[in-house]
Amino acid sequence: MNWFHPNKVIIQGITDDRAAFCALQMKTYGTDIIAGVCPGKGGTTVEGLPVFDLVEQVQTEFGKVEISLIFVDPYQVLDAAKEAIAAGIRCIIVFTSKVPPQDTIALLKCAQQTNTLVLGPGSHGIVIPQQVWLGNLQPQFYQPGIVGLITSSRHLGYEVAAELNVAQIGQSMIVSVGNDRIIGSDLAYWLATFNEDPHTKAIVVIGQRISQVDSIIAYKQNHADKKPIVVYLVGLKAPQTKIYQDAVTIITNHLSASIPIANRDRQTATKLRKIGLKIAKSPSDITHLIKQALADNS
Amino acid sequence: MELLEYQAKELFRIVGIPILPSLTIQDARKIKQLQIPYPVVLKSQVRSGGRGKAGGIRFVANTIDAIAAARSIFNLSILGEYPEVILAEAHYNTERELFLAIVLDYDLKCPVLLGSARGGMNIDSLLSNLQQVAVTDEFTLFYARQLATRMGLSGNLICSVSEIMAKMYRLFKEQDLDLIEINPLGVNNKGELMALDGRIKINDHALARQPIIETLNFSSQQRASADHSVWTTNKNFSQVNWRWLDWHQKNGKIGMICSSFDSALLTWDLLDQNKVVTACGALIENSLVTEGDNLQLYREQLLSILRQLESFAEIKVIILNIWDIEAVNRQIAQTVVDYCQVLEEAAELATSKQILVDEEIDPSQSPQVSVVTHRKPYFVLRLLNHSNINDLASSEQIYLSSSLEDSIHQAIAIVKSS
Repeated sequence: MNWFHPNKVIIQGITDDRAAFCALQMKTYGTDIIAGVCPGKGGTTVEGLPVFDLVEQVQTEFGKVEISLIFVDPYQVLDAAKEAIAAGIRCIIVFTSKVPPQDTIALLKCAQQTNTLVLGPGSHGIVIPQQVWLGNLQPQFYQPGIVGLITSSRHLGYEVAAELNVAQIGQSMIVSVGNDRIIGSDLAYWLATFNEDPHTKAIVVIGQRISQVDSIIAYKQNHADKKPIVVYLVGLKAPQTKIYQDAVTIITNHLSASIPIANRDRQTATKLRKIGLKIAKSPSDITHLIKQALADNS
Repeated sequence: MELLEYQAKELFRIVGIPILPSLTIQDARKIKQLQIPYPVVLKSQVRSGGRGKAGGIRFVANTIDAIAAARSIFNLSILGEYPEVILAEAHYNTERELFLAIVLDYDLKCPVLLGSARGGMNIDSLLSNLQQVAVTDEFTLFYARQLATRMGLSGNLICSVSEIMAKMYRLFKEQDLDLIEINPLGVNNKGELMALDGRIKINDHALARQPIIETLNFSSQQRASADHSVWTTNKNFSQVNWRWLDWHQKNGKIGMICSSFDSALLTWDLLDQNKVVTACGALIENSLVTEGDNLQLYREQLLSILRQLESFAEIKVIILNIWDIEAVNRQIAQTVVDYCQVLEEAAELATSKQILVDEEIDPSQSPQVSVVTHRKPYFVLRLLNHSNINDLASSEQIYLSSSLEDSIHQAIAIVKSS
């Protein structure tokens, strides 16, 4: 996928208010949005874009579609994504969140078999400052630069970008991986992508979940790359309910909440430091760590 | 959504997992109508575990005992929850007890079969014998046989336990479950199986498409604990909503208002790093997409939060971390300025009231005065583009900044100096 020149983008579920707003903003910005899809609404227009009943009808009219942005209701996500995949689209961004997990699992299996890239569910899209806008991250908060930013949170991305902008480091690309518990392309995929991207000199990962950290560690252990990675973990101190990911921990917690499950946050931070990753304490600390790492590398 | 035992067993019955004859009772006197021969087990239907140890399960030998036991169970709260229903069930003689479960593993992105040859109440021994098999492809019986063998089962049990597992898996797939558990699965001296207790958790994000929830009578606690979006399908798209975060700390000095959950996490973390205790947090979420729409609604929602924050006597500083468009930012600043002014006037009025102590004042004529105290909190507003609203909020009580960390430092400085 060449993110620098995304051609022929469609929106499935364009009649949703959020999708229509997003379509208008992207169109104004210059993104190559060609049409929307909404079953039963074919022949109408939304924000000046033609609407079709089927994805294949768009392709008959405009030729091969490269990317589909999916905004349909959670229970329709699997169906919409399968329609896009069947039509030969190999890059899908799912903006809808709270998709039933068994649907996501089925979608990811289908994507794997067809070599389709899935971003999300619960993604906010991708931005390359002053070049590419796909989704509902607001590009005015970003400035061109050298940091690849991976996050599951729109607001935390803005906060970190604001600090990077002040320090005149800027961002090469921002990707929102999605905030559902099961997501398609994960941190490891995007770390690899940024590692190959010549515009990216350093990578920042904003994490909120331990499982994400594990995939960073796995990536780092298998790739001897030189680009510095700064990890910023948010929410370690806030008294939020812990969410467990793996079956044994879930069942242990379910059988008896009184069995203490080790607070793994500190261990995680230690693990990350051991393999040479930098942990930031605050958004401004990120710029500090990046400057330091870039100075060390040169 | 976690089902109660009797609701889980209703689902077991549908797919043919063996359960004992039973009756659900909402009133202790109804026990007279029981058709099941004594001895009978009475079980409190609450969501929390450990009800056996807490006295929520009683064996009874006759009707008189049963009525007394049922009354005491209805009056027994287990971790703060009173049962709305008791399950009266026949007694079963077990020779051994197994544990079976299927859980959705979010790391592996597939369901995992779990089993232990040591089922029952002893959780430590159960867990130390726990075996697992990940269902990485379409389910077939061999996954279950693999698990049964790893559990150390032999002979006919391998097949009969696998059959039960297959039925559990059917429920798991069809009903969008997060978790299904039978503990214990009783084995009698003839090698027959019986699901003696069970738990089921339906995934909240799939609940609305499960017709089964229409037939299960959910208790008020179950309804209260479910994600409220489960019950309402309307998206409230063009609205401003606010809600409390479920985070509270005693003696907190700071009240926090944020525009997203993630920024609340961030704000809380940064305050905590500086050893400042946050009392509570509120989220004000603006889903308006058209600029300048419904600003009045934003004002009302914000005022409603501020009024509720007045009940936290310890709060010295209220920090607002809002990431929004300029029109909203201006409205926020204006609302806070107006609010401070009302506090000011109320304080003056209260002073004059003390002078006119004999005069009776009708409280209904000045409703805002009745809730306002003399205490005036400081406000730290973290708003973008604040230079355009500087003219509004020029007061020593209000601090305005576009930098988050600057705002945090200011809030901390005020707390520590007071």
